[in-house]
Amino acid sequence: MGSPRKHAVIDAATGKLDRRIFSEQAIYDAEMEQIFGRAWLMIGHESLVPAPDDFFHTYMGEDPVILTRDGRGRLHALLNMCRHRGNRVVRCDDGNAKRFMCTYHGWTYRNDGALDHVPGEFEAYYDALDRPSLGLIEARVETYAGIVFATWAKDAPSLEAYLGDARWYLDTVFNRRNGGMQALGPMKWLEPVNWKTLVDNCSDNYHVPTSHLSSAQVQTRYLGRPRLSHEDQFASPNKHAFVNGHSITFRDADDNTPRFVHGMSKDNLQLFQEYHEATMPEVERRLGNIRARRVQLANHSIFPNGILGLRLALPRGPRKTEFWHFVLVDRDAPEEIKRAIRIGSQANNGAAGMFEQDDVDNWRQVTAASKSRLGRRHPQELSMGLGHAASHPDYPGIVSERYISENNQRLFYQRWEEFMNAESWGDIPLDPITAHFDGTATMQG
Amino acid sequence: MAAKAPAMAPAAQQALWFELMQFYIREAWLLDERKFKDWLDLFTDDILYFMPRRKNVLRRELHREVTPLGDLAILEEDKRYLEMRVARLDSGMAWAEDPPSRTRHLIGNLEAAPQDNGEVQARTAFLVYRSHLETDHQLLSGSREDVLRQVAGGWKVAKRTILLDANVLLDKNLSVFL
Repeated sequence: MGSPRKHAVIDAATGKLDRRIFSEQAIYDAEMEQIFGRAWLMIGHESLVPAPDDFFHTYMGEDPVILTRDGRGRLHALLNMCRHRGNRVVRCDDGNAKRFMCTYHGWTYRNDGALDHVPGEFEAYYDALDRPSLGLIEARVETYAGIVFATWAKDAPSLEAYLGDARWYLDTVFNRRNGGMQALGPMKWLEPVNWKTLVDNCSDNYHVPTSHLSSAQVQTRYLGRPRLSHEDQFASPNKHAFVNGHSITFRDADDNTPRFVHGMSKDNLQLFQEYHEATMPEVERRLGNIRARRVQLANHSIFPNGILGLRLALPRGPRKTEFWHFVLVDRDAPEEIKRAIRIGSQANNGAAGMFEQDDVDNWRQVTAASKSRLGRRHPQELSMGLGHAASHPDYPGIVSERYISENNQRLFYQRWEEFMNAESWGDIPLDPITAHFDGTATMQG
Repeated sequence: MAAKAPAMAPAAQQALWFELMQFYIREAWLLDERKFKDWLDLFTDDILYFMPRRKNVLRRELHREVTPLGDLAILEEDKRYLEMRVARLDSGMAWAEDPPSRTRHLIGNLEAAPQDNGEVQARTAFLVYRSHLETDHQLLSGSREDVLRQVAGGWKVAKRTILLDANVLLDKNLSVFL
C-alpha cells in the first residue's frame, strides 16, 4: 500500500468491500460534503421548466434546490433556504413565478436568486443590511442534451469533462433526435436503503434473472419480450464500459432493431420498427454511422446518484433513500410511441413497477446487514470478473470482457474512494476524452 | 363528482347504494383473502386502472394537483397488465409479495350517480393497511372513482381512478392492489 488513505473500503485485488459504508452516520456525513457537495449532480431536465419564470423543485443530495428559468431564459439552481433564518421560500413541486417570498418574515427573492425586497429594510434595519450579498445560494449549472446538472464546487471541471467518454454511449439515447427529449414525472417514494446500493445495482445485470424472473416470464408470455435467463445473459455479447465512475451497459450489433426496452410488445413492434427506420437518417447525421446503427445503450448510472437515465437516488440518511422516477421520451416521437414507452416504463419501474418492486427487500437487507455487529465483520464479496476488464480498441473507457461481471461495483466504489479522499477537485482524476464523436450532436443537443 | 345523477326515487337510490356497497365489500374480501383471479373478474376487458401522481401546488392552482392521463402515472394499467401482475404472483419468484403481505381494505363513503347510458359513477374512500415480512407496515389512504357497467347481470369496473393521499410515497414499494 502507498500512502494511507482515510477511506479504504474496496480492495481492488480481491473485490472485498467494507460494509460500514452503508450504515455509518459519520461516513454518510462525509459523503454529503465530499461527494454531494462536489460532484456534478443531475437535478432535472430543461423540459420541466420550458417557459420563462418556470420553476421545478428538486434536490442536490439532501439540500432542497429550486431549478428556475429566469425571465431571460437562463437556468439557475438555487438553494431553497431564505438567507435570513433558513425557511424554504418554495413549497410547491413546480410552477411559474417571477419572485419567491419567504413565508416567515416576507423576504422576497427574484427567480435569479437576488434578494429583491426585505420588509423594514429602512425602518427596521436602518438601511444597514447588505442586501446584494444575501441572495439565494446558487450552484453552477450546465446541461447535457437537456438534462440539467448542478454542482456546488467552484473548482469542478466542465460537465463535458465530467461525463467524458461516457457521453459517447449516452448520446445514443439522450442525444438521438434533433428535437431532444421530454421528461415526464417524477414519481417519488422512500426506500429503507442506502443510496449507493441503488446505484451499484443499476448495472448489476447478474441480479436480473433471479430478482426479476417472475416479471420477465409473464412479459415474455403476454408481451412477447425476449426470454431472460442466466444462460442467455452469460452468452450475451453485450458489454460494460466504465468512465469516471459512470457505468454503461451496451450492445454492439448491426441488427437494425428499435432501441427501447420498456413499452415494446409483439402488438406494437411494427410501430417501433417503423419509427426506428424513419428516424435513422436524422440519427446518423447526428451520431455517425456506428453509434446510430450499432451501439445500443442499456442500463447505466451516472456518478454519483443518477440511475437509468433521469432517475435519482436522493440520500436521506445512511439507511434511507428517496427515489425519483422520471421517464424520458423523444419529444418528436409519435404520440403512440410516447404512450407505449410511458406505460411500459411505469409498469416496470417506480414504486409499483413490476420489476422494481421486487428489488427493494433485497436492497434493504443489504443495508440492514451493514448495521449488524457481526455482519459488518464480513465484507461484501465483489470479485466476479476480476482482471477481465481493460481498455478496448473499439469502445471508449475501461471495457469488461463479459456482460456479467462486478467490474461495475468495484469501479464505482473506487470512484467513491477518490472523491472521499480528495482534498479538492484537483485530487480527483478524470479520464481523458479520447472517443471520436462523429456527427453533429453536441453537449447542448 | 362531475356528472349529475338523473332524478331517482329514494327507494331505487337506496337499492342501488346497497347493491354497490355489497359489490365493494365483496371486492375487499377477495383482495384481503388473496383471491386475485376472482378479483380480476370484477373488471371489464377494456378496464383502465389508473393511479395518477399528486403534486404540491398552490391553492389557486389546484387544477394542477392531480397529474392528467398522458403524464407519468403511478399506475396506468389495462386488463393485460393487470393479468400479468396477478399471474406473476404464482411464479414463486414475485419477491415483493412472496411471502405475501397481510392486507385489510376498508371501503366507505360511497356516492353513486347513475348515468344515462346505464353506467354508474361510484366514488368511495379507502383505508388499506398492509403488513409485510416481520415489522414492515403501511397505511394507504385515498379514494377510488369508478365507472361501473352491467355485464351479464352483474356489475364490473370499466374504469378506476385511484387517488392516493400522498406526495412522496412513504413505503418501500406499492405491491398490493387498491
